[in-house]
Amino acid sequence: MGQTNKLEIRVSPSPHVSKALSTRSVMIDVLIGLAPALAAAVYYFRVHAVTLVAVCVASCAAAEWVCNRIRRRANTLGDFSAVVTGVILAFSLPPALPWWAAMVGGCVAIGIGKMVFGGLGSNVFNPAMVGRTFMAASLGTLMTTWTVPATVDPVMPKVAPQRLDARTQATPLAWSKTAIKNELGATTYNRQIFGSTVTGEVGGCLGETSAVALALGGLYLLIRRTINWRIPAGVLGAAFVFAAAAFVLDGDVVSEPSRQWLASETYVQPLFHLTSGAMLLCAFFIATDPVTMPLTGRGMWIFAVGVGILTMLIRVVGEYPEGVMYAILLMNGATPLIDRFCKVIPVGGKPGGKG
Amino acid sequence: MAILSGNRTFSGGAHPPGQKGRSCEISIQPGPPAKEVAVLLCQHIGVICEPVVKKGDAIAAGQKVGDSQAFVSAPVHSPVAGKVKEVALRSHPVLGRAMAVVIVADPPDERPAAVDAGRFADFDTEKYEQAAILDASREAGLVGMGGAGFPTRVKLDPKGTPKETLIVNACECEPYITCDYRLMLEWTDQVLAGVRLAKKASGCKRVIIGIEDNKPRAIEVMRDVCRAGADGIEVMPLQTKYPQGGERQLIRAVLGKSVPTGGIPPMIGVVVINVATAAALADAVVFRRPLTHRVVTVTGGGIDRPGNYYVPLGITAGELIEFCGGLNSQARKVVMGGPMMGLAIADMKTPLTKTSGAITVLTQQEIGSAKFAQRQTACIRCGRCLEVCPERLNPTRIAHAVKNNLLDVAQDYYMSACIECGCCSYVCPANIELTGYIKTGKIFVARQKKRMPE
Ligand code: SF4
Ligand code: SF4
Repeated sequence: MGQTNKLEIRVSPSPHVSKALSTRSVMIDVLIGLAPALAAAVYYFRVHAVTLVAVCVASCAAAEWVCNRIRRRANTLGDFSAVVTGVILAFSLPPALPWWAAMVGGCVAIGIGKMVFGGLGSNVFNPAMVGRTFMAASLGTLMTTWTVPATVDPVMPKVAPQRLDARTQATPLAWSKTAIKNELGATTYNRQIFGSTVTGEVGGCLGETSAVALALGGLYLLIRRTINWRIPAGVLGAAFVFAAAAFVLDGDVVSEPSRQWLASETYVQPLFHLTSGAMLLCAFFIATDPVTMPLTGRGMWIFAVGVGILTMLIRVVGEYPEGVMYAILLMNGATPLIDRFCKVIPVGGKPGGKG
Repeated sequence: MAILSGNRTFSGGAHPPGQKGRSCEISIQPGPPAKEVAVLLCQHIGVICEPVVKKGDAIAAGQKVGDSQAFVSAPVHSPVAGKVKEVALRSHPVLGRAMAVVIVADPPDERPAAVDAGRFADFDTEKYEQAAILDASREAGLVGMGGAGFPTRVKLDPKGTPKETLIVNACECEPYITCDYRLMLEWTDQVLAGVRLAKKASGCKRVIIGIEDNKPRAIEVMRDVCRAGADGIEVMPLQTKYPQGGERQLIRAVLGKSVPTGGIPPMIGVVVINVATAAALADAVVFRRPLTHRVVTVTGGGIDRPGNYYVPLGITAGELIEFCGGLNSQARKVVMGGPMMGLAIADMKTPLTKTSGAITVLTQQEIGSAKFAQRQTACIRCGRCLEVCPERLNPTRIAHAVKNNLLDVAQDYYMSACIECGCCSYVCPANIELTGYIKTGKIFVARQKKRMPE
């Protein structure tokens, strides 16, 4: 066995083969899933989209690199998770946000949202949502100043939150909410807005406007089994049921028959809630962040349904037009608890009546 | 496709590449002649044998060299005639080092005779009494040859809960390995004889042979003989999925019943035996031949001449590898068994045992670069390990508890129910050695209970 001795023979625990899957490949898959929405963002918001995404990704990556340096840890940029956080953060910001604000957000997202917990896998809250919450709390109206898509008006004028105009609306959600408050109600709500939320030709955060693009990317991740199907099913299902119940129970349906499908007197029709705001972005890309969601199947259902219902509660009952961000953070916080109460039971049942 | 086939299976599991093409078309050949064999005294689950011969004794081929009085144990025999050189420590794939009876062949061993396929053509179960079959299975030192090595005599024991169903494990779900497949194709009569004997010994009424649907020829061949024999033996194709051949998973797939956690198949009236064990049982009962030889698949990218060999047990892994042309320059890992559950060995002088169904020599490419570099990253809590676990455990929780020395937490998460199939480690994107940690945890617990020597 002369030759055998020269070879480098290794010993390690079984199994001795592994699936060609790595944290990096998972993250790259997510980025591919985000690509259609990125394309839509660039199409509707042009240079704003390019700047925001670039700044957020760069600042997230830089923050991660610096934190690892300070803590004398190995560089972890190679897993691409910081890039994903950067893109998602950018997607959840108003298009015309100044670049320095986005940079601060990126640093907070990674620095506070992830690295202080010990890096990828140890963070409790979704880093992008932590960054966004910080910005919402500190930047005031900058975070609620929307932009008219370039396809509507090439100058892309900024819109103040309260401006009500069917074409240069602020965001569909804010608009519907204010409209209701102003007792203009659903009567001024028109079919065009729902259509626009599907294509994305509306005001709103950078990457949340185009329902079609988000659904396409989500479908890709579902087919690739990169994300767990329970999450989008639970979030969207719960939100739809909630919205439908509110819509139907309200009773006071618009009197004019041709428009009855659109909205009741106080509640917009349920599908609108799914296509507008960050609902799809949340269901496919934010709530599905594996680190901050429960591990077990039952836990995932509770988490997803929780996100869906909380989002709708905030939207319908709360002060804010949009509820995704807080819903996610609340359910993130509940995740350790959910995991503790939703232990999996082995196939053969609990052993011998014990435990 | 497998999913559309409608064949049964269990839930969870993984689909590692089969890689059986290298050796599945190569018929069983005689292995290398033994010059010296080291018969390990522990080749089974249960009480370790004591040597019944001593240094200098002359030995006949097939003579018993180690035995124990305990019920849960199985004697060991010498495959060759010769002289006892010593009773000494040898490398053991599981235990590290263990006692073995070392025998120098004298006269030099002829190559193990190629088996005469016609031997079992006129086999008739009626000629054998139940008690005689049970005795023969004990005397021949039969153990489950699929991997675990549980004494067959104990498994077949008809006392206790009445046994209803005998399941023959012909899945061979472990990638690369083809020894059971070749047995079914080439020694069909012998396998069937063994199955009938096992049925009679255990008192089971029903027999089901479970075969993964990636082996259509084996399904066909077994169906043909079973139809000819027509004594209620049924062949059931199962989905190709790892670990379909895990005892508990097989029962789940075939009968739709679960063996209770911490329990054993007899509790629900089931006996599972492996194809190779059935073949050995036939040899033991009909020809009174002890279990001293078995078919071993030598395969993997690190081997230039893969194949299936009938080898004397006690020769070293190195000898068998040399017989197949040695390791090539790509070889990086020598595994006793298959890539999912096999044990990597460092010492090429490790003797083959009754449960060594294969020697798989893997290349860096087959192992995968991250695994090869043993690059583990942080758990991203993706839940993939939970999804594939065939026992529906929480591998990441258990493994991390073991890592942090929280053995009671690990046990809270049913660590002892882990069958060590390796699915969780296989899919983990962070490449964490979940199965490795769990195995370590189990050893710690066993030590705490003082069941295992320090
Ligand atoms: S598969 Fe790996 S990364 Fe995913 S939850 Fe399990 S241990 Fe963590
Ligand atoms: S925990 Fe055990 S039984 Fe479950 S997949 Fe991992 S090795 Fe297999």
